[in-house]
Amino acid sequence: MARDVIKSEICPKLLTGSFGNPSAGALLTSPSSSAYLSSPLEMDPETPFTLNISATQIADLKHRLELTRFPDELDEAEWAYGAPLADIQRLVSYWQTDFDWNKQQAVLNEELPQFTRNIDVDDVGTLEVHYVHKKSELEEAIPMLFVHGWPGSFIEARKILPLLTATHPDVPSFHVVAPSLPGYGSSEAPTKKGFSLDQFAETCHKLMLSLGYSEYVTQGGDWGGLITRRIAIKYGGKHSKAWHTNFPVCNAPQFTLNPFHLITSFSMILDLLWLSDFEKQALQRALETERIGTGYLRLQSTKPQTIGYALADSPVGLLAWIYEKLVGWTDGYKWTDDEILTWISIYWFSRAGPAASLRIYYEVNAQNELVPSVHDVRPTIPMGLSYFPKEVASLPRSWLRRTGNVVFDSQHDKGGHFAAYEVPESLVGDLRKMFGKGGPAYGVVAGSTGFKLS
Amino acid sequence: MAETPFKISIPQALLDRLQQKLALTTLPNELDGSGWDYGAPLADVKRLVARWMDGYDWRHHEAQLNQLPQFTRPISVDGHGTLDIHYIHRKSEVEGAIPLLFVHGWPGIFLEGSRIVPLLTAKLDDHPSFHVVVLSLPGFGFSEGAKKPGFNIAQYAEIGNKLMLALGYNEYVTQGGDWGLAVTRRIAQLYGGKHSKAWHTNMVFGEPPADFDPTTLTPEQQAALARTEGLMKKGMGYRHQQSTKPQTLAYAMTDSPVGLLAWIYEKLVAWTDRYNWTDIEVLTWISIFYFSREGPVGSFRIYYEAMGNETMAMQAFREAPAPEIPLGLSHFPGDLVVVPKSWSRMMGNVVFDSEVHDAGGHFPAYEQPEALAGDLRQMFGKGGPAYGVVPGKSGY
Repeated sequence: MARDVIKSEICPKLLTGSFGNPSAGALLTSPSSSAYLSSPLEMDPETPFTLNISATQIADLKHRLELTRFPDELDEAEWAYGAPLADIQRLVSYWQTDFDWNKQQAVLNEELPQFTRNIDVDDVGTLEVHYVHKKSELEEAIPMLFVHGWPGSFIEARKILPLLTATHPDVPSFHVVAPSLPGYGSSEAPTKKGFSLDQFAETCHKLMLSLGYSEYVTQGGDWGGLITRRIAIKYGGKHSKAWHTNFPVCNAPQFTLNPFHLITSFSMILDLLWLSDFEKQALQRALETERIGTGYLRLQSTKPQTIGYALADSPVGLLAWIYEKLVGWTDGYKWTDDEILTWISIYWFSRAGPAASLRIYYEVNAQNELVPSVHDVRPTIPMGLSYFPKEVASLPRSWLRRTGNVVFDSQHDKGGHFAAYEVPESLVGDLRKMFGKGGPAYGVVAGSTGFKLS
Repeated sequence: MAETPFKISIPQALLDRLQQKLALTTLPNELDGSGWDYGAPLADVKRLVARWMDGYDWRHHEAQLNQLPQFTRPISVDGHGTLDIHYIHRKSEVEGAIPLLFVHGWPGIFLEGSRIVPLLTAKLDDHPSFHVVVLSLPGFGFSEGAKKPGFNIAQYAEIGNKLMLALGYNEYVTQGGDWGLAVTRRIAQLYGGKHSKAWHTNMVFGEPPADFDPTTLTPEQQAALARTEGLMKKGMGYRHQQSTKPQTLAYAMTDSPVGLLAWIYEKLVAWTDRYNWTDIEVLTWISIFYFSREGPVGSFRIYYEAMGNETMAMQAFREAPAPEIPLGLSHFPGDLVVVPKSWSRMMGNVVFDSEVHDAGGHFPAYEQPEALAGDLRQMFGKGGPAYGVVPGKSGY
């Protein structure tokens, strides 16, 4: 792409459209987690949980599906206007008839050992958090917190779980904790306004402490990336020892009056002159997403309740809303109908209902924290970054390096937004390189290197 | 060609299906004290759903709507075949009445224009009279919608113009707001002079002049601009969704009565100015969307076609040459965009510029019909700046 095209096309778009507003300022709060420091011996026993959706709920779902009223579609619209009618009709028909939720539920319960635990969030109260927890056979495995986003869920951990917890002399092993964020899956949702990104971070952090993991590492994409970044800022060093994300997002250069910001912004513009082909394509993709793929984002960030009525009441409405992202944000992933419907049924049957899952967008947008800013305080702990080609919000490496202490950085030729689900081997491969022997974050958790103490 | 009368007659099966679905309504919870901040409040929606199920008789309201003189007519559009267009048409007793085409927007419907019909068609000594045509835009109400991509503002304008010509109104004037502004503006650009002789809008926009000094704004103007800014920041999610993924949205809105109710109700309240909607009014309005010929999705597509590339669309709109025919502006304090009156002169050849009315928002034909009709009478009446603009049809 010619230099002048970058200047004349990309820069104006970056300067006028934005990827979000810069944070109002650093939110350095001292961790209030001292009450939770406990050794494994003092840990409260875990409360096992199995997904067990009632026959009544399943029958209700099927009844609604039977009454579905479909829109028509423009000739040859395909994906241009949104999820295609043929796909949605096929999925609804299957969901109503032969899709066997009980079978899928059983498999989920078998693959993903689940629990619930009450977590006390400052100024909010107690939230019952649903989470997956699988320990490695190796005691010295690295405790890892995996955080999903929207429209994701704990199900995103299902493929990486066996890989991360595997024990092998050549690769580090992990104990994995994958919570359902408050308002998702079987986790309780907050009932008061203002549940912030920091409070999501606090919830996840306290969960780790309550499980006896005083020191841990994190992995997250989408909201999981933004939440684990807050964890790295608030609890980094003392508790969070390293963080990895597959969601390379930050704000675009901002031309404010702050001279330091100006210098940074100018540097970021100059960086555009030296983008790799991968990064150029990624940036184009990010701009295109911003142009035509963020309707849901702007809506959920401003009127989550309004769209919430439809998503809570209409299975087909919810299906289309999420399916469009499952296809649009992945890299040719060959979803089966069972996968799609299991994924979306988790939303349909969620404890708080689908409307609750949208509110994080409103709260974070209201606090101007939707996108991490390069001008923000940056976490000092080691940061890992994985670039997947079909990620929708994928900004240049040189920009991301300004947002953290990047010690590991990889690039793949396959995979999209839901990397842990689409290309689990690639993501786990990166984590193994980052945390393995000779890796840049090897041994960050003292005594839990992921290998046997020899 | 004789007109084909139309009566709304929703099949009983659809009414029954609506009731079945309403009975199954599952409502989300709501955060404590969220009011209107997060969207339509739960208490309102719950109450409306309950009324819709029990205490709202569609057939009764259907019969009332059918007292409006409705018709349908096939209109061909270059490249899109023929669409069956639904409209209201009332002629004045005054033979020399001014033909006027009223064009609604979103989430407007033909009902929006129904209140000014008796006012404008009245035969009065002191005021001009009008023959009024209220168009249901393709995809809205009971008009057929486009079947192919690319049905853009020019096509909507073509429909409006051809309808007026088909009714024998070779020369006419127009009134519109929201998409009605875009469509009547395009009519003025494409057919102005030859067919459209003057245009009037209640949706006023404008930009500050080059030498703008913010300190010269009055407190009222500052407050209005702040409100506009707030609406643009927090109330445009629907527009982004409809202009990029209308089909994805369509599944929810077609299938879920409460979903559609909340979607539209939020705007009916946010965009009107101290208008006391009754539950019956709201339910009739939304029922029309629910029962519309194309379903709700027909009404979303105008956003995609006209604004799909939003930056370009806004730019094109601003840069397109302003129509030359006379323009009238009515200023209502509660509309979405309220700018100082002087800023809106750039909209076109402004010959009529009302005072800012005491009340009224985005749907003044429905909220404040007397005020809007009053402005049109002033603009087109004897001594008015657009008097006699349609030769031989001065309104008297």
